[in-house]
Amino acid sequence: MLLPRIFAPVRAATNSPRIPSSRVLDVLRHANGSAAHVPAPTLSFVRHATHQAQGRANGAKDGPGKRLGAKKAGGEYVIPGNIIFRQRGTAWFPGENCKFGRDHCVFATESGYVRYYKDPSLHPKRQYIGVALEKEDKLPYPQNAARRRRLGFVAVQKESQPKETEAQTAVADLQVGDATGSETSITATARIPSTLMVGKGYAYRHANYDIGRVAERANVQVKEFVPGDRWAAWRKSQARKNRNEEAKKLRNAGKKSAKPKARKRRGP
Amino acid sequence: MAPVKPSVRPFSACFRCVRGDALFNGAPRRFLSSSAAAREELQTTSSTPPPPPPPASTPGDVAKDAAAPKEIPEYMKQWGELDPNAVELKRDERRLIRREGIQPIGSRRRRAIIARDSAAKAEQISFDQLPYQCFQEARKVLLADREEKLKDIKTQIMRIENLKAQDSTVSGGEAKKATRLRSMQNHLNDLIVLADVNDPLVKKKFEDGEGDMNKPIYRYLADQKWRKWKRLVLEQRIEQFNLVPDLLPALDPIADVDLAFGRKNIPIGDFVDSAISENPPRLNVQTFERGQKLVTVVVVDADVPLPEKDKLTYRCHFIASNIPIAPDQTSIALSRIQQQSRKAEKVEEQQVALEWSPPWAHKGAPYHRLAIFVLEQQDAKALNISEIKTEKRNGFILRSFVDRMKLKPIGVTLFRTKWDESMEGVMMKNGLEKEVNVEFKRKKIEPLPYKRRTERMR
Repeated sequence: MLLPRIFAPVRAATNSPRIPSSRVLDVLRHANGSAAHVPAPTLSFVRHATHQAQGRANGAKDGPGKRLGAKKAGGEYVIPGNIIFRQRGTAWFPGENCKFGRDHCVFATESGYVRYYKDPSLHPKRQYIGVALEKEDKLPYPQNAARRRRLGFVAVQKESQPKETEAQTAVADLQVGDATGSETSITATARIPSTLMVGKGYAYRHANYDIGRVAERANVQVKEFVPGDRWAAWRKSQARKNRNEEAKKLRNAGKKSAKPKARKRRGP
Repeated sequence: MAPVKPSVRPFSACFRCVRGDALFNGAPRRFLSSSAAAREELQTTSSTPPPPPPPASTPGDVAKDAAAPKEIPEYMKQWGELDPNAVELKRDERRLIRREGIQPIGSRRRRAIIARDSAAKAEQISFDQLPYQCFQEARKVLLADREEKLKDIKTQIMRIENLKAQDSTVSGGEAKKATRLRSMQNHLNDLIVLADVNDPLVKKKFEDGEGDMNKPIYRYLADQKWRKWKRLVLEQRIEQFNLVPDLLPALDPIADVDLAFGRKNIPIGDFVDSAISENPPRLNVQTFERGQKLVTVVVVDADVPLPEKDKLTYRCHFIASNIPIAPDQTSIALSRIQQQSRKAEKVEEQQVALEWSPPWAHKGAPYHRLAIFVLEQQDAKALNISEIKTEKRNGFILRSFVDRMKLKPIGVTLFRTKWDESMEGVMMKNGLEKEVNVEFKRKKIEPLPYKRRTERMR
């Protein structure tokens, strides 16, 4: 089997018309790799490390696990706020009735049954996690069908009486001046409860427009503002400046002894 | 250079940008109007004195009008005379609206020109005689282009005539001939628009709101303007408020619909007080296509709660059919239509199938979306009102209605309703006493029972 390969160089040599037959042996020797007779300059390279292989150089590779992955399996029942999937990055996207958390975790916004699915009409490559409202529902829902929604509210009979009394007592504390019980005050008490609203920090407060009308209800007379009345503006600003001057004097009254000393020190 | 001087000003005024002008001074947002033209007529007849106040209908109003001028404070008098035809500065426009209660007329560019001309006492030089060489050369180019387009139109008309006369077997079948005719007609329509689209006078007229909506060029310009901003907003609202999957499978608005309750214009999707929405609204439907259409107007509430089933359903608040609209016939006053239908004795004369029922919402319930659809009737054929009258209000499904009646949605607008102060009164008036005392509260969601990990795995 090996014969044809061994004789190949010989054949080549004999076939080639250039080489004379007396040099056949040389050719053979050369072709069979007889270069070992002539010691070639062998260069043996040693490749030293340029980067620390051990120790702290490469950072810790095997830290504690972050407990990522699915927290709820497909078909499992979830309620709003349940985390379904924890991940780094966005391997999964929130689909129907789901949202992203601040670390890209996917959580449910409705109670229902978890579904892992793809929706090519929404995005050709993304994979989604959704919550189906009914156990037998499949996701994605048909593209142009009406959304399936849940009301999430219950109808209760209103209890109207006690609320009004509460509001009235609250108003009685807030009533400004005008204790005569005139018609205006009655209308005001009837109106104020509706203007109470939830402000910042969950505390009830009066609406701004209602606060703005306190003076009106208390019958405070204000001079009408006339735009372009420079004389009145000048008088007003002068009065303010005088007031500030007075206040400054009052503030500095106690410090009178301390200040001159400090000045003397700075002088030289 | 004396003769040049007066016309320098008007020409420079042409370059002033007046976009958004109408929005800022509170004037109605319109493409074209008849009111401005009417006012101009008034102005031309009596140029110097300010226009008379709007005609008062009742003696009470007259008394008010008489009392109003007396109350003008001193500082307002200092503003001097403000001519609605010539106010130019934004400040003066504001002052005019505040003191006289009159909207400025036309575009600010136009008013600026009028003001400057009257100030300089310049004689009015018509557009095509302005002494600017470059301008006139440019006009020549435009005119040449227009001539070319007119020639094209003539040949295209001739080609269409020839094709119509041709036997359908020669032109490759009936269907192929029809498609060819349609595409040729489309090309002709394009040419008609292109012939005028660069005309400065057309642009000026359109900007001043004097364009005739029966002409294709003004319809084209109005359509472009609508698509640049209002339609984009509308598309966004349709998507954000989920009108498309909830009420209809698809929607491509081709008509501009403005909604107003009385004199109050409602932006798309705005909350409307229940006292205001007790009476039917007024629609302004601007179509940009040629010819008259018959439309059906449907108002649907898309968020009617069904607490016993923990679901939401639909309710129909209004249906009126066979309402004619055209590019120059835009107003649909639902209250007027309703009154006319009440007076009409025969069913065929009536237009309203389901009368306006005021929108209402329970206290504490999420907001209700009330979508107003303008649906075009097929081939402008009248619908049978007595058939539509059998539609049920509760659980009204718009998709199936549209399919059954063979309608095509062309325009939509939206407002929202939630519980407010006047809702109780409105509900009491409309026979919903039982519902007044019902309040909606969020359903408490039971937490999942605690299970150990191994249990959950099982």
